[in-house]
Amino acid sequence: MALETRVIEEFRSELRSVDINEAPYDKQGYHLAIEARTGNLQNIVDFFDKREFYIVDLFCVDYQDYLELVYFFNTHRELCRIKVTLKLDPEKPVAPTISNIYPMASWYEREVHEFFGVYFEGHPNLTYLFLHDGIDHYPLRKKHVPVPDEDKKLLNSFKPQEEEDCFFINLGPQHPSTHGVLRVVLKMDGEYIISADPVLGYLHRMHEKMAEKKSYAQFLPNPARMDYPGALLFNLAHVETVEKLCGIEVPERAKYIRTITCELNRIASHLLWLGSFPADLGGLTPFLYAFDDRENILDILEDVTGSRLTYCYFRFGGLYNDINEERFVSATKRFVERMRKRFDMYDKLITGNVIFINRITNIGIMEQAMIRKYGASGPFTRSTGIPFDMRKVDPYAAYGSIDFEIPTGHIGDNMDRYRVRMKEMEISLNIIEEGIKKLPQGPFKAEKVPKKLKPPKGDIYNAVESTRGETGVYIVSDESDTPYRMRWRVPSFSNLMTFPYLAQGVLIADAIATLGSYDIVVPEMDR
Amino acid sequence: MTFGLACCAIEMMCTSMARFDIARFGAEVFRPSPRQADLMIVSGTVTKKMAPTLVTLYEQMPSPKWVIAMGNCAISGGPFVFEGQYNLVEGVDLLVPVDVYVPGCPPRPEGLLEGLMKLEEKITGTRRFPVPEPKW
Repeated sequence: MALETRVIEEFRSELRSVDINEAPYDKQGYHLAIEARTGNLQNIVDFFDKREFYIVDLFCVDYQDYLELVYFFNTHRELCRIKVTLKLDPEKPVAPTISNIYPMASWYEREVHEFFGVYFEGHPNLTYLFLHDGIDHYPLRKKHVPVPDEDKKLLNSFKPQEEEDCFFINLGPQHPSTHGVLRVVLKMDGEYIISADPVLGYLHRMHEKMAEKKSYAQFLPNPARMDYPGALLFNLAHVETVEKLCGIEVPERAKYIRTITCELNRIASHLLWLGSFPADLGGLTPFLYAFDDRENILDILEDVTGSRLTYCYFRFGGLYNDINEERFVSATKRFVERMRKRFDMYDKLITGNVIFINRITNIGIMEQAMIRKYGASGPFTRSTGIPFDMRKVDPYAAYGSIDFEIPTGHIGDNMDRYRVRMKEMEISLNIIEEGIKKLPQGPFKAEKVPKKLKPPKGDIYNAVESTRGETGVYIVSDESDTPYRMRWRVPSFSNLMTFPYLAQGVLIADAIATLGSYDIVVPEMDR
Repeated sequence: MTFGLACCAIEMMCTSMARFDIARFGAEVFRPSPRQADLMIVSGTVTKKMAPTLVTLYEQMPSPKWVIAMGNCAISGGPFVFEGQYNLVEGVDLLVPVDVYVPGCPPRPEGLLEGLMKLEEKITGTRRFPVPEPKW
């Protein structure tokens, strides 16, 4: 029996008063939809918590007449996506918190609060996370809603209490090991961290707001700027979602080229991390080697896409242009051959380095059970031994017809995360090789895709496996040529929020090692 | 000074790596502290939340000091300017004086190198390297 049928049965017997409806997965990207009320939300979330669901996302949509909170749940064992909605009064939106059940929800709730003005009853710390001190309205509301004075007090989230016997360190926003402009406020007791509190928003570039102002095609360059090391994968997430929403069929050749270029991009992104991770620990040499390999990939991708970093190559229904097969295939083969040999060198250079081993082994251990509570994904999840990969559970592009394995770790420490990523690069090489072998001839673009897309009314959630984990796009369409609401579920955000948990009580140097192992990208978290 | 903000920071890193090798032009010493720097390369989008930090960092740099605005975001806000935007400083020159603008989204490493040479030209009045002839 499929998991969703089992869930329906158990749900109906346990929570009789709540309606649970099946949704067409092909069209909407989730299996079940539940409409909750303020009174029974906690019970519903508790139901999914008991069945080991993880929290995918929590966000809000402003329908003018009412605000709708949307909760997504899924399992790590098989795909069973569940959407729980909760309608709120737009004049005085108050919802119960679920952060007592899922700790990650507290971060999502803070985000919803500052962008929509929704209050969460019982939330431990409802302060601003993203926005700057001068903000005077709730940005993602459709109407102009000013921030009330009592809310402005929550703006400055950093308030040290003087009587405490400890001191504070600001890690960032301008710090080499935070990979951009992440700021973490560390409460220290000597060399040990008492608590870590990330402050985001230093690179909040309003992508979600922009999506509402621009047409589907005009938004195409944006995803690449969200996650610049893995630009093609974000491009793919956006394009695939819109294709599913409009029902556009993609030709086989385009699917294969998408897969191959995405995997090349994945390796490039992992190489960037491979350079910067040892650099965080003090070893600057691997940086030079990793970038050397990365330049080779950039050459191939530049030839195909026309840019070095922020690719915008996929279009609705196919690709921007076809590859020059002779040049692309020979260059890729040459790269794969070269890269295979480089792994031995990396093993000698990094993996075998005693300092490196001692700095990261048994440090930053993440338990399997906590992964679910934080909704973490990607190599971070796989390092704890959960073989969860969107490419496998819900194959998109050409991943369904390519055979590949999913590397997993054992205990989920920094070393495991390192090993999983290294192994992933090797597997990406296999996927590229097989993809090239199977590359079919034919058109690279679907015919008759209208220039101005006007998708049917409805909503859709679609996820791909980007370099850092599950990247999901949720679109609400109102039949116009711009999305009514576009929500990005980004992996770095939920991954990073495990950092306060892992950093508690460890040495500051170890916390830096842990932070480096996350492979975070700040614009992606800030959106 | 290493002041990586966004996408352009990756290209800035590429510039200092083996292929483009910024050291050829004697400019490879990236410093993480403003106290040891004389050039700030603003590589990426400056948000309103980041702006006070950026100004503080600039003021902490000892004179003489210069600024390169790298990428469209740092020049004018670039692709993120739209009606009703609430979190963007539309150009870093609103905050600190800028000497050289390097356009692109992101600029290629060659572009940044050219920007450095332009800055040298501005400081010394002479150009150390010849302008390459376009091939087309």
